Amino acid sequence: MTIQEQYKTRVRELLSSGTVKMVIGYKAGTTADRRRPLFIRTPEEADQLLLDSACIANLSGYLIAEGLLSDEKRVGIFLKPDGIRTINILAAEAQLNIEQIIVLGFDITGQEVTALQGETAGDFSALIESIKEGAPEALKNPLIDQLEQLNPKERFAYWQAEFSRCIKCYACRQACPMCYCRRCIVDCNQPQWVNTSSHTLGNFEWNIVRAFHLSGRCVGCGNCDRACPVNIPLRLINARMAQEVLGSFDHLAGMSDTQEPVLASFKKDDSETFIL
Amino acid sequence: MRTEYPVPLAPFGQQLHTYKDCTMAKIGVFICHCGENIGAKVDCTKLAAAMGEHPGVAVAVDYKYFCSDPGQESVKKAIRENNLTGVVIAACSPRMHEATFRKACAEAGLNPYMCEIANIREQCSWVHTDPEMATEKAADITRSMVEKVKRNNKLKSIEVPVTRRALVIGGGIAGIQAALDIANAGQEVVLVEREPTLGGHMAQLSETFPTLDCSQCIMTPRMVEAAQHPKIRLLTYAEVVGVDGYIGNFHVKVKMKARYVDTESCTGCGDCITKCPNKKNSSEFDCGLGKRTAIYTPFAQSVPNKPIIDKANCTYFKNGKCKVCQKVCELNSINFEMQDEFIDLEVGAIVVATGFQVQDNSVYGEYGYGKYKDVINGLQFERLASASGPTFGKILRPSDGKEPETVVFIQCAGSRDPSKGVRYCSKICCMYTAKHAMLYAHKVHGGKSNIFYMDIRAAGKGYDEFTRRAIEDDEASYLRGRVSKVWEENGKLMVRGVDTLLGKPVVIAADMVVLATAMVPQPDAKDFAKVVGIGYDEYGFFNEAHLKLRPVESSTAGIFLAGACQSPKDIPDSVAQASASASKVLALFSKEKLEREPVVATNNETTCAGCWGCVLACPYNAIEKKDILDRSGKVIKRVASVNPGLCQGCGTCVSFCRSNSLDLAGFTEQQIFAEVMGL
Ligand SMILES: Cc1cc2nc3c(=O)[nH]c(=O)nc-3n(C[C@H](O)[C@H](O)[C@H](O)COP(=O)(O)OP(=O)(O)OC[C@H]3O[C@@H](n4cnc5c(N)ncnc54)[C@H](O)[C@@H]3O)c2cc1C
Ligand code: SF4
Ligand code: SF4
Ligand code: SF4
Ligand code: SF4
Repeated sequence: MTIQEQYKTRVRELLSSGTVKMVIGYKAGTTADRRRPLFIRTPEEADQLLLDSACIANLSGYLIAEGLLSDEKRVGIFLKPDGIRTINILAAEAQLNIEQIIVLGFDITGQEVTALQGETAGDFSALIESIKEGAPEALKNPLIDQLEQLNPKERFAYWQAEFSRCIKCYACRQACPMCYCRRCIVDCNQPQWVNTSSHTLGNFEWNIVRAFHLSGRCVGCGNCDRACPVNIPLRLINARMAQEVLGSFDHLAGMSDTQEPVLASFKKDDSETFIL
Repeated sequence: MRTEYPVPLAPFGQQLHTYKDCTMAKIGVFICHCGENIGAKVDCTKLAAAMGEHPGVAVAVDYKYFCSDPGQESVKKAIRENNLTGVVIAACSPRMHEATFRKACAEAGLNPYMCEIANIREQCSWVHTDPEMATEKAADITRSMVEKVKRNNKLKSIEVPVTRRALVIGGGIAGIQAALDIANAGQEVVLVEREPTLGGHMAQLSETFPTLDCSQCIMTPRMVEAAQHPKIRLLTYAEVVGVDGYIGNFHVKVKMKARYVDTESCTGCGDCITKCPNKKNSSEFDCGLGKRTAIYTPFAQSVPNKPIIDKANCTYFKNGKCKVCQKVCELNSINFEMQDEFIDLEVGAIVVATGFQVQDNSVYGEYGYGKYKDVINGLQFERLASASGPTFGKILRPSDGKEPETVVFIQCAGSRDPSKGVRYCSKICCMYTAKHAMLYAHKVHGGKSNIFYMDIRAAGKGYDEFTRRAIEDDEASYLRGRVSKVWEENGKLMVRGVDTLLGKPVVIAADMVVLATAMVPQPDAKDFAKVVGIGYDEYGFFNEAHLKLRPVESSTAGIFLAGACQSPKDIPDSVAQASASASKVLALFSKEKLEREPVVATNNETTCAGCWGCVLACPYNAIEKKDILDRSGKVIKRVASVNPGLCQGCGTCVSFCRSNSLDLAGFTEQQIFAEVMGL
């Protein structure tokens, strides 16, 4: 049986036994290489389920849609390791109750999809631990290294050019499961901290605020990067911040559902390299 | 676990999250010359003219000293005559006179929080040389404050109740004095000492400069008085492990370390001490010059006079066999199962009097401390000279018990030595070395004392006379210079130094060498400061709020300092500071309620995402989780809620909140934004 068929059977079981009220998975999208979210409520609806190497989107943002979990019933969801880390963060930030989530874990290497053993987020802690160990390598990116070689002026020019395309559509924000605030700072206009116009100042204000709000929280799922209609390489900023937080505070986002947010907590032995 | 905090009495109804209209503003700008301080660099008249042109400014005037009586009167008059809605005083730092001018505004009928200070002295005239540019900068600073004050809110002070009970930490002379002064004024005190007895260093001293009265004779009655005082609760062998809350309302956790002796039933008969077979433990009180048993009191006059078991050295705790003390104790007071206990205290004020330590002299390898038994430090000399000490007051060499015929004293062994010791002067060593030379002369007739010194610093009542007496009456020989090496030769300690007044190297064959060791902070001072929440300097001495004007207050409101924990001090200074702290505490307790600045955070519950980042980030535990219920009582949302009684207005939460839901009264987003845009 293919992994897709195995998981179809599993989804039908979960629904018919009443273990979950819904499973969030993937179905065919508008083009052959795109997938759409699928909300499966009955065993029959599981027929549409697809699970292949195109299922890359992080679906966890749907879990915190208004009211979905408020009846305290369980929901199943297809998650890659980055998705599992996401629900850990959402639980640590009190946005969902992790006990309500049944994880249908999978991973993609090249074209191949493999199943991950486990049912609740906690079952994957060993896997996440190994991700942390590999993180210094995994976060490396030749382009980041190249940018690091530039002097601040040149780097500024690089980002100025990239950001100049930003149309402030906030698709990056909408796509990110961590951007769950009901009112985002950019929506404040008394005072207007973040300039809405698409000029250098406004573009930097938005993208720097975004980088800070996601530092120590971004799991690198790439939702934002793919959502950006003008292809700004947001992943570079996120990965660079993740490197920084890992190096300075030994923090990788989403290790567990009780992890303290890195920017709101402190340890006595935190490095204080930023204090002059 | 969270403790319940008293809710502030005044209603907190500030509307921070709504837009503030400032088109009707009538601001008065008062530019102070501060004599020459500002006037010499900033063209105040020109500045006043420029400010007069700024939109919303009704009056802009300059004057020599606005803080003076006529100056304040002119501000009041301007407020009344022009119906001002806000005031900017362009002058010195707000730390200096914000309170002064807010009070003046209130007297003229303006809400005091409608007054702001533009600091054009410390941040402008004092740090710039070019008058033209300084004037320009002063205009920027002032304009930005005008824009801020337009958006200020009429805040109300917060009233909080005061718990009239003081905590004194440290039972040396300073702590005892503070506790007695407060208790004698009728207020309750809890006195916490971490050693098994009260007394601190003063209990170890022999006789004290400048009067040479016996330390124990003046100290022990004080200790007894403190222990028996009906208003003082004494907790010895206890440590403060947690402090939270704020002025008037501190919550303190104290660890009562297990003594293994029940102090209630024990009468202090001492049978256990006599019978304890484990007698060879080095006595801390005698600085290693004497021995004590494993169950012990530090000294015969200990308060309380109840023994403790030194767990690390007790035979039973080490080998599981012995319990001799338990067998001999007729009152069954010995309990090997005893555990540490924790006590929660509610207090309104704290006096920190944790004292000092003497520096470890082994850093001076060349002086042979730790290598030669007869090289000792000043505190050890005190024990030798003390009637209650290991030699019953006889000056005898630790190595062979012989009377030393020649003693060399080395002053500044650690003090004023940036390379190995500390940079500061320990203040007491000149005096106690003179005292030691005198005691030695009185006790060992014909004994010869040589003192190597850098300077004789003997400022104080009767102090210089005292050192002169050592030289003139007791024939102490003072040699101005440093010692470079001490070594042993034929049973003598050879001291090589230089006499800089004669310009000659000298070598003295001595029987004993006494190092006047530097006074240093307690080794755990920095960690302890973090527990209590006070600042410390580079060495670990606790910081006062203002070295000259507020020398006994720490920078945390409601926490005061006494004694050598703040800086090296002798007994008279320690006692004076302790009494000063006590009077500060009593002033605080003279009111039933305290007024607090209403600079506190508030949360916009509509936009709060309930992420609890702020709850964790708040250093004062001032943010709680609050349920928002629908009509049927069902929780529809959980949001953060700031307890204004606890909030210290630090703004940490405001900067953390991603949804921008938190705002700080007195420093609202609108105010700060306007301030920045005004530059
Ligand atoms: C060798 C020598 C000779 C001296 N001779 C003289 C003299 O002749 N005349 C004179 O005026 N001065 C003299 N002094 C100075 C005098 O000893 C000090 O001025 C005085 O002891 C300072 O008192 P204190 O209460 O501040 O500190 P301490 O005496 O050090 O007392 C502090 C107390 O606090 C306790 N403590 C510390 N940390 C904690 C904690 N975390 N919790 C609870 N309790 C704690 C300690 O156990 C101690 O009992 C001499 C000092 C030395 C070293
Ligand atoms: S910032 Fe982008 S990559 Fe990071 S978690 Fe959000 S969507 Fe994923
Ligand atoms: S998705 Fe791209 S264009 Fe849109 S706001 Fe984000 S960075 Fe700008
Ligand atoms: S940080 Fe902001 S959004 Fe999060 S709980 Fe606090 S107030 Fe609410
Ligand atoms: S301003 Fe915020 S973080 Fe600071 S004490 Fe008040 S509630 Fe806590």
